[in-house]
This record gives sequence, C-alpha cells and structure tokens, in this order.
Amino acid sequence: MMRSLKTRLLIGTISGMILLLFVFSTIIYVVIRSALVNQFDASLISTTQMLSALTEQKKDEVDVESEIQLMAEFKRKQKPAYYQFWTADGTELQRSLSLDTNDLSPFGGTLDKPIYKVFKMSNGQPVRAISIEFKPRLDKPKRKEKLTESEVSQPFIQQQTITLVIARDTTDLQYHLWFLRCTLLIVSVSTIGLSFFIAAPIVRTGLKPLNSLATQIENVDEGDLTARIDTENMLTELTPIKERLNDLLSRLEKSFNRERRFTADVAHELRTPLAGIRSTVEVTLKRIRDADEYQTALSDCLAITQNMQAMIDNLLALARLDAHQMTFQRDEIQLAELINTCWQNFTDRAIQRNIVIDNRISPTINCQSDTKNLSMVLSNLLNNAVEYTNEGGEIWTAANKTDDSIEITIANTGCKLTAEQASQVFDYFWRADTSRTDTGIHCGLGLALVKKITEALGGSATVELHDDVFEIKLTVPI
Amino acid sequence: MKLLLIEDYKPLQKSLTKGLRESGFAVDTTGDGKEGLWYATSNDYDVIILDLMLPGMDGLTILKKLRAKGKETHILILTAKDTLEDRVTGLNLGADDYLAKPFAFKELLARVHALMRRSYQKKNPVIKIKDLQIDLNKQQVRRGKKQLQLTPREYSLLEYLAMRRGQAVSRTDIWEHVYEFNSSASSNVVDVYIGYLRKKIEQPGKPSLIQTVRGRGYKLGETS
Repeated sequence: MMRSLKTRLLIGTISGMILLLFVFSTIIYVVIRSALVNQFDASLISTTQMLSALTEQKKDEVDVESEIQLMAEFKRKQKPAYYQFWTADGTELQRSLSLDTNDLSPFGGTLDKPIYKVFKMSNGQPVRAISIEFKPRLDKPKRKEKLTESEVSQPFIQQQTITLVIARDTTDLQYHLWFLRCTLLIVSVSTIGLSFFIAAPIVRTGLKPLNSLATQIENVDEGDLTARIDTENMLTELTPIKERLNDLLSRLEKSFNRERRFTADVAHELRTPLAGIRSTVEVTLKRIRDADEYQTALSDCLAITQNMQAMIDNLLALARLDAHQMTFQRDEIQLAELINTCWQNFTDRAIQRNIVIDNRISPTINCQSDTKNLSMVLSNLLNNAVEYTNEGGEIWTAANKTDDSIEITIANTGCKLTAEQASQVFDYFWRADTSRTDTGIHCGLGLALVKKITEALGGSATVELHDDVFEIKLTVPI
Repeated sequence: MKLLLIEDYKPLQKSLTKGLRESGFAVDTTGDGKEGLWYATSNDYDVIILDLMLPGMDGLTILKKLRAKGKETHILILTAKDTLEDRVTGLNLGADDYLAKPFAFKELLARVHALMRRSYQKKNPVIKIKDLQIDLNKQQVRRGKKQLQLTPREYSLLEYLAMRRGQAVSRTDIWEHVYEFNSSASSNVVDVYIGYLRKKIEQPGKPSLIQTVRGRGYKLGETS
C-alpha cells in the first residue's frame, strides 16, 4: 500500500503510459514489418515470375535460359541471391552460380499460392526463400510451317511441372526491422522519462489544495473549535471533504461546549456546599465552644456532606447511564405497592408541609422492570413533588395500561412554571428558580436522572402542564 | 460596624453570620434577593456581602440597582462562579471586591475589614488615640500597656467611634452601625454600652477619651 497520493498518481500515470506505448509500438512494428515483408515478397514473386517466364519446354525437354546465371543478383559475391530449378522427378535443371555446392530444397507452393520460408544458408547468411511449382512455356512451332503429320497425330504435349526455389538475402530487411525496433524503444523510453518530469510537477501542483486543506486543519485548535475550514475557492472534489469536516467541527464544538458547561455546573454545585462546610468548620474553630455548639456545627456539616453525596451519586448514575454501564434486572413489579414504598421516605416532609398523596394506581397493574432503578425514578419524582407542591396541596399518582406499556402519571398542584420552563425541567442543573442554591437532591439533577433512567429502561418521560398542575408522564414497557 | 449578608445557602448564611458577629460586626442577614435590595436601600451598611445566585433577584441586578440609586456602600461579591468574565462583570458593575467559594473565613474577614477601612478612609489597621490603641485586624484594644477585654458589642461600639474619631456621633448613627436591624434594643441601650465602654477604657487620673457632646451624641478623641 503506497502511502503517498503523489507517488500513487505518478506511478499510475507512468504505468498507464508504459502500457499504451508498448501497445502502440507493437502495432506500429507489426504494421511496418508486414509492409516490409510484403514488399520483399512481392519482389521475390516478380523475380520468380521472370525466371519462370525464361523457362520453356520444347517437346519433352525443358530449357532454362542460361542467361539467368549471368544476372548480377545471382552472381555477386556480397549477399547474393540463390535459385534452383528442378523437374518433377527431382532432376536439377539449373542452379545459380552463387549456390556453388550448396543445395536449396523445394517446399511446395504454386505461382498463385507461393510458400515462403526463412532459414540460414550454410554460410550463415539469413535468407527468405520462395518455392513454387509451375508449367513452363511451350515452345510452339512457327505458323509459317505446316504441322507435320506426326505433329498433328500428336496433338497434345505433356507439359512438365518445374519446381523453382529462390532465396534472397534478408540482412537488409532485418537491419531495417532492428532499426525500427530501436527507434520505437528509444522513443518510448525517452517519452516515459520526459513524462515523469512533466507529470511530477503537474501532480504536485494538482495536490496543492490538499496541502492547503491540511494547513487549515492543522490550524484548528482543540481549545477553540469555532474555527471553520474556508470553503470558498475550493476544488469541487474537495468541497464534500471540507463540508464533512466542518460538520464534524460543529458537532465537536457543540459537544465540547456541553461538556464544558456541565463541568462548570458541577464545579459550581460542589463549590457552594464546600464553602458551607469550610465556613462552618472555620467559624467553629475560631474559639473554644461548648458541646452544644460543636454538636450543631457537626450536624450541619453532616447534612451538607449527605447532600453532596446524594449529588455525586446522581452524577455517577448519570455518567454510568451515558456510558451504558448500568445493568438492569427484570423483576415483576406491583406498581401501586412500589409507589407506596417510595413514598415512605417523604411522609415526614409531606406532613410538615401539609401535603396529601393520593395513589390512584390499581393494585392489579404489574410490570416487568428493574425494581431498584424504577424506585429511584419514582423516589426522585415524589421528592420533587413534595418539595414543589404548594403547602396544603395534593400529589396524586395514576397508571394506565396499554398493550405493550404502562403510562404512569405523577402530578402535583401548586406549579408556578411557565410552559417554556416546564419544557426545560429535564435539563441538567435546571431549577425552577435559576438562583436557587439548594444542594444535593435538589441540585437540578433529579429530573435529568429520571429521564435518563426511564429511557434506559426502554420507556420515556414527558412533562405536561395544566394550569397549576404539574404532571410527569412515564411510559414503562410491560 | 454593620454588615449586610445576602446569601441564600442556609449553612453558609448561618456560619458566616455567626463568625462575623463573633468578630464584632452587627450582621443583618437575608436569603432573598428582593429583600436584600430593600435592606440595602433602607439602611446604611458599612459593607454588603452579596451572593450572586439568589432567589427573587440575582446579585448582579441588586448591585446595578443599588449603584443606580446612588448607594455607595462597599460591596463584596461572594459566589461559586469564578470565571474571569464573572469577576470582570461584577467589578464593572460597581462591586468593590470579589471572593470565590469556597473561601477561608479569615480571608473574608480580612477583605471585609479592608473595605470597612476604605469606607472611613483609614489605611492603617491600627488606630491610636492618645495611649489607646485599637488593632482592627486582631480586634485587640490596649490602653497604655494594658490589654483591655471588651465584649464584641463593646468592641464594635469603640471601633465605630474610632473610625469617626473626633466627630460627634449621634446615638442613631451608633445604633444603626452597631445593632442589627431586627434588634429589639432600644436606643438608650447605646448610653448603657457607652457606660460599659467608659468603665473599661477610662483610667483614673487620665483625661477622658469618650466625651459626651450635649444634644449631639458622643465623640472619641480629637481629629488626627
């Protein structure tokens, strides 16, 4: 796997070019070679025709013009051509002087369909030979003489078949082909070499936008995610990448901001009770006090630490839910009974605030869920209700069974929230009064936790507002 | 010296009030923003300690409204918000000091003392009137070489008179700066306490330090 896009592009381009050059060079070579060979063969055939024309048959005797032997081509010392005539019975009629003691051998073929053969002469000379069989010209008597009796009685003369082989030197042809091959090779190699020098800068220039993109990405600082990649003057191929990156940055920014706000909120929520403990302890330690005062101070600190612990438990529960680390059981739960159990913890506070609860859930309604977590949800809701119901007000619970779920309603009177505020009750650290600094369970995490747990249990939590009645509706699968 | 503490977090409110009272301050306390604003406008406090997140009305609004009404009381902001912007916003709105929670009680006390001295244009934490020496930080009083044991109330009274040394201070002023708003004490309690104080700081054979200014109140020492 090549890591560099530049290398890849270069290698790809150059390989493609090599392949194309090879294919085209081959085609050029084949075409030119066949043209040259055809030309060579055409010349061989014309020589053959000439030689066959110089062969005649007189009666039963075949005569080859001896002048052929005097033709320069067959006589010269340098790269001579060769020929040899045979009759049908294999008797040699004539041979070129250049053949000397060497022999050619016939290999079939006719004037119309000559056969070619490439071989080397015994002296190593490369030749291309043509072999044909032909009927020699008949030497007819002149018209001025009347045909003799015997000639008339012998109307048909058996025409003999003569075999002719001509071999011609191919050194020149081979030299031309070698030269052609060399030319093509040199042209190809230099084209590839030069194209490397052309392609490299083109690829480099072409990839420049990638470098500029890289620089832009490099400039994105994890401390400041508001930066975006400039999409103007962008190559169309890179636009989707930039857009995706910008999308990613936006999402990261949002989630970072959420984290940061959450951390700040947590810090704030922990600082206040911590300040309470510190100042209580420091003021108490200012001087020697009597036992009652120490007792009060310690009880105050204990109450604060309990609230802080509750808050940290809630935070941990939220973190575990976010990380999907909570495990859930499936218990058979009798809903009305579970609510009564949860309510036990708040009866004192309810009596203190003169609040009544009306549990309208039928004892026949059961569901399958995680007892521990569902009771945590219900406790949170009841706790919330008991704190925010008006003095002398009422809290009631109801449940509705559908085919696959149970809808639980927990409602209380005395709600002073606006519709907009009501829609925010599930947000982290949200409080009815933005300035309220009750800590612990009332740190603004209770309802956020309710929603998270209910969702993790496979249900949902929604809020409804009817005049001064605040209703939380939970859907829990059966 | 009288302070107003506007803080809604009960444990903090309780311990600060206690600690500040034990340090010789008269402390009015409230946990509600609107009530705090009312206290601050209708009384003359030496220093206001103000939390920012309050029910009813938030601290910054109280600050803005007080300054808009021309109240120049020194204000120390006390809050769990401690980002740079929070501090800058608070100070720009006219707060005099800023302390992030959690804090050391000693530091709060030192800052309150510093603000108080600023109110009376005193930079030196030790006030000397003849051979009477009042250490505002240590809340120690000496006459000559003798260390005097004063109750917080007596000390508070002496401190206030010392801050306004050489001036005739009315009983109402004293009452307002030494007693808390809800205090049921009647105004002749000032005379009673002046009596207690005189017994402790005056020495036979030496000129009297606290003079009664007829029809106007009391005066400690001469203008320095």
